[in-house]
Amino acid sequence: MTEKERKWKCGKCSQVLTLQKVVFDYLGHTFSHEVPACPKCGQVFISKELAEGRIAELEEELEDK
Amino acid sequence: MREIIRKTYSVCPVCLKRIPAVHAAEGKTVYLEKTCPEHGNFSAVIWRGLRDLEAWRGNLPEIAEGENENCPHACGLCPEHRQGTCCVLLEVTKRCNLNCAFCFAEGGSGEDIPFAALQRQLHDLAEPGKTLVQLSGGEPTVRDDLPRIVAAAKEAGCRYVQLNTNGIRLAADKEYVRALAKAGLSFVFMQFDGTRDPIYRTLRGRGLFDIKKQAIENCAQHNLGVTLVPTIVPGVNTGDIGNIIRFAVAHSPAVRGVHFQPVSYFGRFPSLPSDSRRFTLDELLLAIEDQAGELVPGDSLHPSRCDHPLCGFHGDYLVMQDQTLHPLHKGQSNCCEPVTAEQNRNFVARRWQRPDAEDAKEPAVGDDIETLEGFLRRICSHSFTVTAMAFQDAGNLDLERLRTCSLHVYSDGRFVPFCAYYLTKQA
Ligand code: SF4
Ligand code: SF4
Ligand SMILES: [Zn+2]
Ligand SMILES: [Zn+2]
Ligand SMILES: [Zn+2]
Repeated sequence: MTEKERKWKCGKCSQVLTLQKVVFDYLGHTFSHEVPACPKCGQVFISKELAEGRIAELEEELEDK
Repeated sequence: MREIIRKTYSVCPVCLKRIPAVHAAEGKTVYLEKTCPEHGNFSAVIWRGLRDLEAWRGNLPEIAEGENENCPHACGLCPEHRQGTCCVLLEVTKRCNLNCAFCFAEGGSGEDIPFAALQRQLHDLAEPGKTLVQLSGGEPTVRDDLPRIVAAAKEAGCRYVQLNTNGIRLAADKEYVRALAKAGLSFVFMQFDGTRDPIYRTLRGRGLFDIKKQAIENCAQHNLGVTLVPTIVPGVNTGDIGNIIRFAVAHSPAVRGVHFQPVSYFGRFPSLPSDSRRFTLDELLLAIEDQAGELVPGDSLHPSRCDHPLCGFHGDYLVMQDQTLHPLHKGQSNCCEPVTAEQNRNFVARRWQRPDAEDAKEPAVGDDIETLEGFLRRICSHSFTVTAMAFQDAGNLDLERLRTCSLHVYSDGRFVPFCAYYLTKQA
């Protein structure tokens, strides 16, 4: 987690987020990745850095040419 | 009785005049048929009916009345051309150090074009930050100043510099390989017709298998990715297709993939071949599945969208630690969207190039491609492609294909679609 993410809290439960392994499907592939999530309600938070970094990279690789 | 299933245009193999042509089906086999008022009827097989032709082609338009009327004689590029330049090919010499039975580059001799002239051409053809230039020939490595030419291509702004070679000098001269890598060469496309010497003796005049292996090793030492380029000729190496793929996978990540080229008959051929001497794209698809289906399932190969679907195909994979291939694109996902030459260029070049030694040092942990990080790391280090291009000759030239061609030869200040540039009359 980045410094910033370390301070994030869940909007609903006010719990400090922890890193949790989530599994997601993307263009026919299944991946796991550790992302900040609320320890209480399980809500997952995708940072802008992740969306614009790794996930954008993934999209570029998996988009069919 | 043959049934006409599509209309297009071609050229007369004798006089090269543009003439109407049809795709005519007899059972499942499809022929390109045409008649020159002066030189008579011609027919060439283009599809053996091993795959559904309509499904493979998708819903591309035919050449309409009044379109491309000067094709292919206005080539280089005329305003009616439908695709940009994906790769541009520059001949740096006519000379060669082999004497191949199936060579299209009119085995030449004589003076090479001077370095300064090449430098000027590179400057003129390059779109800084974008261009993928293929240094070709003849055999480019007969030039001692090739590293300088590579450097000039980079200086001119070419993003990727590819070397098309038979590998002989790369195997013999480590210092030369080092100089090419240092000059900024991005990757190598190396003739590789099979995994047995008799194949090379038939096609290239001498046994070359050990030389090919040495060339791969020397390139690996300098982090230069090598894509293997087999010319597939009926009766010679159609049975070795699976072995070629297995060899390539076993030599990943130094080897980045296989680029199949079914034989085509331009250049020095005295006459057009009988249909039994042609190997159609669907025959190639079937052969890959038959001989290496455990690595390359049929549905992982997709028709070209940058070029015409009948021009070629591609598949993208990760090489796993147990030397299996993990397809990145399966099924027919949004395959009808055309792509621009630029999208295609960046996509394929990323796979043909090896990552910097720095990036590659990261340990590629196990087979942890289930994690996002592991997957992205493995794509970077162990990408693998299976691609094909079925070059056209005067017998089977289809102008519907030619007008969307993205592989261009740079000549006299013009970008000429490859199959138009090398088009030769039947003697
Ligand atoms: S192949 Fe392309 S560039 Fe050549 S004449 Fe036809 S449309 Fe023009
Ligand atoms: S070079 Fe020939 S086979 Fe390749 S895309 Fe162009 S027209 Fe098609
Ligand atoms: Zn919560
Ligand atoms: Zn004619
Ligand atoms: Zn292309």
